[in-house]
Amino acid sequence: MMKSAVRVSLLLLLVFALHAKGMRYSPPGKPTLTRCRSPEKETFTCWWEPGFDGGLPTTYALFYRKENSETVYECPDYRTAGENSCFFNKNDTSIWVNYNITVVASNALGSTFSDPVDIDVVYIVKPNHPETVTVTVMEDKGWPFLRVSWEPPHKADTRSGWITLIYELRVKLEGENDWEMHLAGQQKIFNIFSLRSGGTYLVQVRCKPDHGYWSEWSTTSYIKVPDYFHHEKPMWVLITCFCAFIFLILTWLLHMNSQSLKHFILPPIPGPKIKGFDKQLLKNGKSDDIFSALVVPNFPPIAPSNCEDLLVEYLEVYIPEEQELMLEESKDLNDVCLKSEGCTSDSDSGRGSCDSHTLLMDKFREAKGEKKPRDQESNRTRTKNQRKGWGEEGSSCVHDDIPIISGGRVKTWPCVFSPLPQYSSSTLEHKSSLERAKQHCLSYSAGPPGSTSSCLDQQGQHCKETLRPGNWEFSLSNKQPHLPHSQTWWQLQAHSDLNISSIGCTRALAGLQLPALESTEYVEVQRVNEENMVLLQPVDSEQGHFEDCSQIPLGEDYSRVKGVDRDNRLLLQREVTREDRCLREDRDMYGESCHTSSVTQKPTACIHIARPEQDDMVLAVTGYVDTSTASTLPCY
Amino acid sequence: MPFIADDTIEADGQAVWVEVVCVLLCSTVSGVCSAPRCMNSQSGCHVVSLSDLFDRVIQHSSRMHGISNDLHAEFEHYFLPSKNQISRVGRYCHTSSILTPNGKENTQRMAEQELMEVILKLLLAWRDPLWHFHQSIAHHHDFFNFSSNKALEMSDMVHELRKGVEKVAEKMQMSGIISNSVSSRASPEASPPADSPEWRLMKVYDLLHCFRRDSNKVQNYLKILKCRIVPQHGC
Repeated sequence: MMKSAVRVSLLLLLVFALHAKGMRYSPPGKPTLTRCRSPEKETFTCWWEPGFDGGLPTTYALFYRKENSETVYECPDYRTAGENSCFFNKNDTSIWVNYNITVVASNALGSTFSDPVDIDVVYIVKPNHPETVTVTVMEDKGWPFLRVSWEPPHKADTRSGWITLIYELRVKLEGENDWEMHLAGQQKIFNIFSLRSGGTYLVQVRCKPDHGYWSEWSTTSYIKVPDYFHHEKPMWVLITCFCAFIFLILTWLLHMNSQSLKHFILPPIPGPKIKGFDKQLLKNGKSDDIFSALVVPNFPPIAPSNCEDLLVEYLEVYIPEEQELMLEESKDLNDVCLKSEGCTSDSDSGRGSCDSHTLLMDKFREAKGEKKPRDQESNRTRTKNQRKGWGEEGSSCVHDDIPIISGGRVKTWPCVFSPLPQYSSSTLEHKSSLERAKQHCLSYSAGPPGSTSSCLDQQGQHCKETLRPGNWEFSLSNKQPHLPHSQTWWQLQAHSDLNISSIGCTRALAGLQLPALESTEYVEVQRVNEENMVLLQPVDSEQGHFEDCSQIPLGEDYSRVKGVDRDNRLLLQREVTREDRCLREDRDMYGESCHTSSVTQKPTACIHIARPEQDDMVLAVTGYVDTSTASTLPCY
Repeated sequence: MPFIADDTIEADGQAVWVEVVCVLLCSTVSGVCSAPRCMNSQSGCHVVSLSDLFDRVIQHSSRMHGISNDLHAEFEHYFLPSKNQISRVGRYCHTSSILTPNGKENTQRMAEQELMEVILKLLLAWRDPLWHFHQSIAHHHDFFNFSSNKALEMSDMVHELRKGVEKVAEKMQMSGIISNSVSSRASPEASPPADSPEWRLMKVYDLLHCFRRDSNKVQNYLKILKCRIVPQHGC
C-alpha cells in the first residue's frame, strides 16, 4: 500500500514536471473490469478494459479484498491469462467468499481506480466446452441414427462431485441455417433420430454448471449419414403409377359417358311431342306449315247423307285366345241373342231391328269389358267391316279375313249376306229371301257340344224363327261321341275353305228358299268325317230330333239336297218329299255359297242345282236350299 | 443465476420427506419402530439405499438453493436496482462462525463425519432465522411485497433438509462410515429483528444473501459426500 502510494506520488510529480514543460499529458482514464470467470470453480480470471492512457505509459494493477478482511491483495498473476487480466490460482481462490476487486491504472501523472466489483466465485463459473465429441452412425432396425458422446472439460472436476455440469447439443444439416437444440442433462451420450438419408450433419455440444454460465460450443463434428435402403422411393413410384392409372380410368369413363353426363348436368330441353308436329318446321319458323299438319282432315265428321250408311254396322271380330273367355262370351252372346228375341220387329229396311247387331256388339263389349279382356284380345283383330249397302246387288259376303273360329268357337260372323240378285224365285220369296238375305249371320256360336248356339239375324223377325228350327251347329252334337269334338271342330277350322260364311250363306240360301213362312231352316252339321267333309243332318224343327235322319218338312219351297257331286256341287231335289232319308255326307262340301271373299283361298264351291234325280247323295250340307236361290246361284 | 426449481421435483421431494419423517418419527417415538421392519431387507419391503438417500437429499438441497436464489434475485430487482453489488464491509452472516471448507481440496480433505456435522450445523443455524424471516414477510407484506410463500417454503425446506441429512448421517453411521453420532446443536446467533425498516431491509437482504450461499454450500458438500461414499452413478 505504501509502495503504491509512493509510486503514485512520483508519477504525479512527473506529470507536473511534464506539464510544467508545457506538454499535454493526463492521468490515465478509468479502467473497467469487464468480467471475471472461473472455468472449474477452483481458479478464476478477471479481465479489465483500460481507459485513456493519458499519453503516458500507464500501468495497471488489480487489487482485491476478501470478505470480512481489510487486507488488500494484488493480483498474483498478470500474464497467464493474457493482456489486462489477472489470474487467480487455486491457492488464492476461495469459494463462497466475496472478492472485492479493483483495478488501478496509473501513469506518471496519476492513477485512476476503477469501480470495485464484488464477485463470488461460485457464481462466475463458466466451464470450457466439452471435449472429445464423437458422433457415430448406428442402426436401429434398418433405420440409422446418430449417437453423440462427449467428455466434460478436463479441468472441470465432475467426478468428485465438486462441479455438476449439464449439457446441451445442437445438430443441423449441412447447408441449412437452423440448428436443432437438444438438452442432454447430466448424461454424456445422446441419440439423434429421423435422419435424412445421405445427408451430412454438424454436431456441437456445450455445458453449464448448475449455477453458472454456458460454455462455448465445442468444435463442430461432421458426420455423413449413409444412403440407407430407399424405402421411400419405390413406394412413391408405386403410388404415382397407381394414381396415374386411376386417373386414366376415370378419364376414359368420363369420355365414354360424356353424353349421359351432359344430359345429366344439362338436360336437354324436351321438344314438342305432338303427332304430326314437325319439329323441323318449327325450327324453320313457318307456322302455317306446322299447324297444317295438325289439322285432321274431315273433322268434324260430316254426317253421312245416306242414312243407311249410318246404320251400317261395324262388325267387330273378336278373336280371343282363351277358350274360357270365349265360352263365357259365347254365353253372353247367347244371352244377347236370346235377349234379342224380345226385340220388337222392325220392318225398316236397312236398319237392324232393335239394333240387334249393335246391341250385340255393345253387350259383347260390355261382356268383354267385364271380363277384362286381355290386351291380346283387345289387340286382336277387331276388324270392322263396313257392310256394303244393302242396295247392292250381289253384295258380297264380306267376312273378315280371319275366320272367327278361334278357340274352337265361332264368335261372330262378319259375314254379311246379301241376297244375290239371282235369287229370285218368287217375288215373295225374293223379298223374303232378300229379307232373309239381309240377315246376316251375325254369330255362329258353335261351341262344344251341348251348347246351344244361336244365330242372330239382322232382322228380328227372323230371330224367333231362326232360333226355333234349329241351328247350324258346326260342332258335333253330342250324339256323335265317337268323334272328338274339338278335333273335328278344329278340323273344321283348319280347313277354312269351309268357310262358315259360306255355310252361313248356305243357310241364308236355305232361308231364302223358305216359303212365305219365311222361316229358315238350319242344317245341322252332323259331323265332319275324316276326309274333311262336313256331314250335315237335317234338322227337323218340329221334331226337334236331330238324328241322322232328318225330317224334311213339307213345303214346296224347300229343295232337298240330294247330294254333292264330285265337283262340289250341291245336288238338290226339286220335289220336296218327306222322306226319311238320312243324308249323309261323305264329302266335305265346300259350301261356299256364292261368293267368296278375297281372303278365302280355297276354291269356293258352287252350289247350284243339280239334277234332281241324282241319288248320289253326297251331301256336305244337308238341308234345305232355297230353290230360288239355288237356281240362281252363280258359280264362281 | 438460474436455478431450476421444478414443481414436480418439489412435490417429489416433499413426498420423499414425508416418508423420511415418518420413518424418523417411528424410530424415535416408539421402541417398536426402533428396528424398522425394512432394516433386514425383508421381502415386500423397499429398503432405501444410501445412494438413493443421498440422491433425494441432494435433490432437496438443490431445490432449496433454487428458491433462495429466486428470492435473492427478486429482492435485488425490487429494492436494489443498481447492478453493482453493494460492497458492505460490515456484512455479516451469522453462520460465519461455522468453519466451512472454502475449496475443493479443503472439502476433500475433510472427513465425512466432519462434513456431515458442518452440513447439519448450517442447516440448524438457518432454521430459526428463516422462520423469523417468514414471519416478518407475512406480517409486513405491505412492506415486503414479494412472495411470502417462497419464504415459507424455504423455511420448511431447511427444516426438512436438516432432518433428511440427519437421517443420512444416521445411515452412514450404521454403515460404519462414520463412527460417532452427529450432534446438532442450535446456535445462539439468532438475533431478533430490529425496528427500523431500513435496518430490516438490510437484514433481509443480508439474510437472503447469506442463505443463498449456505444452501449452495450444503448442496456442494452433499455432492462431495455422495461421490465419495457412493460414487456409482452421477459422479
